Amino acid sequence: MNDLQHVPSLAHLAKASAHKFGKKPAVTMVLSNGMNGSLNYEQVDSLSDDFAVYLREVLKVPRGTVVAVQMPNCLSYPIAVLGIFKAGLVLVNVNPLYTVPEMIHQLNDSEAQVLVTVNLYRDKAAIMLDKTKIQRVVVASLVDCLPLMPKIISELVIKYWNKQIPADAGPSVSMKAALKEGRARRVELKIKTESYFNDLVSDSMAVLQYTGGTTGISKGAILTHGNILANMRQLFVFLAPRLKEGEECVLTALPLYHIFAFTVNFMCFYAIGARNLLIPNPRPISHLQRAFENYPVSVLSGVNTLYNALNSEEWFRDTPPSKLKMAVAGGMSLHSKVAEDFKRITGLEIIEGYGLTETSPAVSFNPFEAPKPGSIGKPVPLTEVRLVDDQGLDVPIGQPGELWIKGPQVMRGYWKNPTETGKVLRDGWFATGDIAVSDSEGYLRIVDRKKDMILVSGFNVYPNEVEDALTQHPAIQEAAVIGIADGPAGEAVKAFVVMREGMVSQPEDLRAHCKGLLVAYKVPKYFEVRSELPKSNVGKILRKELRSEALSEKGSKA
Amino acid sequence: MISDVERKLLGIMMIVIMFGMGSGLIWKDFFRALKKPQGLLIGALSQFGLMPLIAYSLGVALSLSPEAAIGLLIMGCVPGGTTSNIFTYFSKGDLALSIMMTVFSTLLAVVLTPLLIFTYGAKILQDSQLDVPFGDVSATLFVLLVPVALGMFVRKFNANVGAVSEFIGGLLGIFVILFLIVTWIPRNAGLLATTPINIYLASIGLGLCGFGLGYLFARLAKQTEKRAMTICLETGIQNGPLGIAIVLFSFPENARDGILLIPVLYSLFIVLSSAAATVFFRKWMTRLEQQKLKTELL
Repeated sequence: MNDLQHVPSLAHLAKASAHKFGKKPAVTMVLSNGMNGSLNYEQVDSLSDDFAVYLREVLKVPRGTVVAVQMPNCLSYPIAVLGIFKAGLVLVNVNPLYTVPEMIHQLNDSEAQVLVTVNLYRDKAAIMLDKTKIQRVVVASLVDCLPLMPKIISELVIKYWNKQIPADAGPSVSMKAALKEGRARRVELKIKTESYFNDLVSDSMAVLQYTGGTTGISKGAILTHGNILANMRQLFVFLAPRLKEGEECVLTALPLYHIFAFTVNFMCFYAIGARNLLIPNPRPISHLQRAFENYPVSVLSGVNTLYNALNSEEWFRDTPPSKLKMAVAGGMSLHSKVAEDFKRITGLEIIEGYGLTETSPAVSFNPFEAPKPGSIGKPVPLTEVRLVDDQGLDVPIGQPGELWIKGPQVMRGYWKNPTETGKVLRDGWFATGDIAVSDSEGYLRIVDRKKDMILVSGFNVYPNEVEDALTQHPAIQEAAVIGIADGPAGEAVKAFVVMREGMVSQPEDLRAHCKGLLVAYKVPKYFEVRSELPKSNVGKILRKELRSEALSEKGSKA
Repeated sequence: MISDVERKLLGIMMIVIMFGMGSGLIWKDFFRALKKPQGLLIGALSQFGLMPLIAYSLGVALSLSPEAAIGLLIMGCVPGGTTSNIFTYFSKGDLALSIMMTVFSTLLAVVLTPLLIFTYGAKILQDSQLDVPFGDVSATLFVLLVPVALGMFVRKFNANVGAVSEFIGGLLGIFVILFLIVTWIPRNAGLLATTPINIYLASIGLGLCGFGLGYLFARLAKQTEKRAMTICLETGIQNGPLGIAIVLFSFPENARDGILLIPVLYSLFIVLSSAAATVFFRKWMTRLEQQKLKTELL
């Protein structure tokens, strides 16, 4: 793991892992019925070489060009991504659930010229050929690289039972044909992909990672090879003592197009020769059962929602994975009830970290020896943090302030967007927009997003705290809290709750429960029961959607 | 009534179905079920307490011939079928519970099915020439457990072979019934036309009574509506192909036809009743979900 010091780019890293781990399984896609397909390190290396050659020699894509990848977790993903890095190109991850307008914005903004997608979304890809600078589309199949029988069966199920393959398709080349052509060219011209990536340096752009749906239009964070490699080294300082090279099995249920799974699950574990279990569709959560049953899962990463869902599965509770030794969480705040339940079931403390797209992503992590529940831990090495007030002055220890960060993992800026970059990057400091508190030992705790704060009669209420109190109620499965306009007092706290199956509870009861845990002004004034809460693709609860619903409701009443 | 080729085909299909069922299992499943014996107990009681009793009582109430009554009894004593899992899935029931109940009733069946057939059978056949080949019934069941064990073993070494056989086994369960409809009904149209009404009533009634009493029993045992619905389907839906296989592989050739009629008719009609029940349950579950939504707290 120390070799990382001398690795200039992710392409070099991919080659090094291939040489070191050769025939060890690198990735295994596990479908919900247990059907699976694997590639070892040699195969991923050779196929991604083929893809790199295809991009550079067949499509003649010039160095530094942006290539978009829109895929769920599947075996073609590492081939495409490592191929892009090896070809000296720049990756832009596209969320498969994006609508056509969202895709058009992202692809136009990033100036991507090639789109690598899967057949499930080929109708959207066809539109991109018209509306964006995309010139070529490569279409993989979800079942690529599966053995014959599982491939035939899965293909039939996807096509005829789920009817997931859209009829309209524009001009495209299949991943299979692209790889074949790339290989032929590679053999014919005796190309070594090193010739494409040898001059990549740590300052070369690696990924344009889009973010910021919460503040309106999304922006591309420029992450360099050095950003991501630095963050991996920072993470390894925390994780390495628990990991054995070549022996880990990591379950990747979070989507790889998200920065958390990209850096932590994919890159970090590719560097140490782990087997990566890719789950294309983790919803419902029972889709993970076969992966847990058939493989010795040793590392699990997830967000609060995923752990919460696992905790309520009977099979998980009754027979927790016996080889599991590490569970990490990030992406959103982990509720205390979820962490406690998980510990009761598996005996493991979920190690909570904190990060953002703009920081590749890790900013802080809980040390294994002394994790603090409810805290996001201490800053990772080489990372300076400040907590500042509205004037940009440091707040005293114990007081909430906006979290500012300086470190090698901080992005270069937003792609072609100096205005937005200027708002968050000042003198090398990155302003996160999150409100945090530090204790005397340097452990940080996220209080909330700055813009989610609710102002009740002049008091600050942080939704996270109220949600955490609510989910400690035995009848509540999930909760989301927002502020709504309410008379002269300014805002009032409104809670949306999802009840556990077969349970009901009256608002008086919930209110009494909250009063036992929270000061009066934090106790929700309004309750609404929902069957589910709006969530992002990684399972983050989207408060902004609830807020806009509340706004439009008010509008229609008026 | 069923040719030798069909008999052999059915035998092979049964082996594949049981192999597929085994491929869906790991040791942890047994461990898990033993950890929570409550669901298991309710399942076992409704499967091996209620169903044989319903079958026997229906036979008496409809004054069936000894052959027909034995056929009905066999259908009451066999374990739950894998098709119940499919119907539970579409009814928005508790799939995990359904699968566990099917598996455990199949395991218990090795001992309980022959025992129950023997106990009730002795009463039905006290004045008859017919004999229950107790040893043969046990042997047939036991032989069918071998592929279950093999399936589990194979899954452990190759998850893909396991998943593929589980998939094919599940489909075959329905295919066997389609196979019967296509090959058996046309050739036996005459027989079906002359079959007395009480045979039909028994074939349809067994499943329906199983649904009703299974549900009541589960509610009495304080199960939620969703679980009760699952137990109801699980109780009523028996492993039809297994019942047919028991008759075909345990009873002497001259006795087979008379016994076989009800198991075959049951297998055909249970698909229809389960489909109807599924449509009903699906609507009901959806309404329950919506009601839960409407109980707005403020």
